[in-house]
Amino acid sequence: MDIMNIIVCVLLFSGLFFLTGGAVGILRFPDFYSRLHPAGKLDTLGSLLAMTAFVIFNLHHFSIGALLTSLKILLIVVFIFLASPTATHGIVDAGVRAGLAPWTKGEKRR
Amino acid sequence: MKIVGLIIVAVTGAFLIYAAADFPAWSDPASPASTYLSPHFIEKSMEETSVPNIVTAVLADYRGFDTMFETTVIFSAGVVCFFLLRISRREEPESRYYRHVLTGVTIQLKEGYKMPPSDDFEQIDAAWTPPDLIVKTACRILIPFIQLFALYVIAHGHHSPGGGFQGGVILGASVILFAISHDLRSAVRRMSEKLIAILCAVGVLIYAGTGALCLLLKQNFLDYSVLAGVLHVDPITARSHGILMVEIGVGIAVLATMIWIYNNVSSAGRYRQGL
Repeated sequence: MDIMNIIVCVLLFSGLFFLTGGAVGILRFPDFYSRLHPAGKLDTLGSLLAMTAFVIFNLHHFSIGALLTSLKILLIVVFIFLASPTATHGIVDAGVRAGLAPWTKGEKRR
Repeated sequence: MKIVGLIIVAVTGAFLIYAAADFPAWSDPASPASTYLSPHFIEKSMEETSVPNIVTAVLADYRGFDTMFETTVIFSAGVVCFFLLRISRREEPESRYYRHVLTGVTIQLKEGYKMPPSDDFEQIDAAWTPPDLIVKTACRILIPFIQLFALYVIAHGHHSPGGGFQGGVILGASVILFAISHDLRSAVRRMSEKLIAILCAVGVLIYAGTGALCLLLKQNFLDYSVLAGVLHVDPITARSHGILMVEIGVGIAVLATMIWIYNNVSSAGRYRQGL
């Protein structure tokens, strides 16, 4: 039980925590825009944390091959970080352009 | 009529299920496919073609003829979309719209008038909507990486999952992403319809041409080992290179077809923004 395992576990479980929160948010929030909020933010953060945990865990037995694999996972992290919020923004933008009104307090869930 | 159709479907389904009962059991080692063919591919494909990825070796070498017609199917899908959807004549006189790039001021010119080409104005469609800046910028950053990855997938089909079909789809998707994030007109300006049509045919031509080259060198169609003389390598490496050649052909055909289908379907054949 060394310090690396603890870091990996902390990262992985906080990632899982955020992913679970995202899933609950998608189910619980009342309308299109607010549902996209957890889908865009928490999923990105959750997968970033989980993937960072993979990167560190992969470097447990250090070698050039393991370093290359870790770099590839880091690249995935970078691309998720770029693409996922942009996709969410694009969907919200499409909703605004289509004229969907946001939910206000007191209305029924949609 | 519906009843008759239902009966036909039910009877055909029953026959299929009846026939499926004669299949060898799931993962049966004594089934004909596992007795002769699979062991040969698994044991011999490396020494016969020097391709570590057995799937690629089977797809493009042992069953190259099959894959050639798969490429032809994709080619015909693109051509069919073109013939069914493309509308080249205009129903009513249309006016042209030009947008000043810096200020966003749009001017309308009546039918018959045209603006001389300049960098300050871009022609836009009637249903044009301003592309979102965030999406546009993010796609601009991502598209080169997507295309680089697509080339990697095509070139690395020998060693890892991938190949012409997958790489071509990713390449086509990058251009479609450009058309979504900017507008269709700029995408068509960068990759014209004529170029797409030519590329579509060139991809199939490369595949069939590789096969025909083997035929000209007095061997069977798509038997790449005779390319050894042309490529100056030993026959086994020649088979590996032959696979790469046809994969490139497949990639080009799939790339062009993806964009062609998208352009035609997304604009209902008018090549104007908005359905």
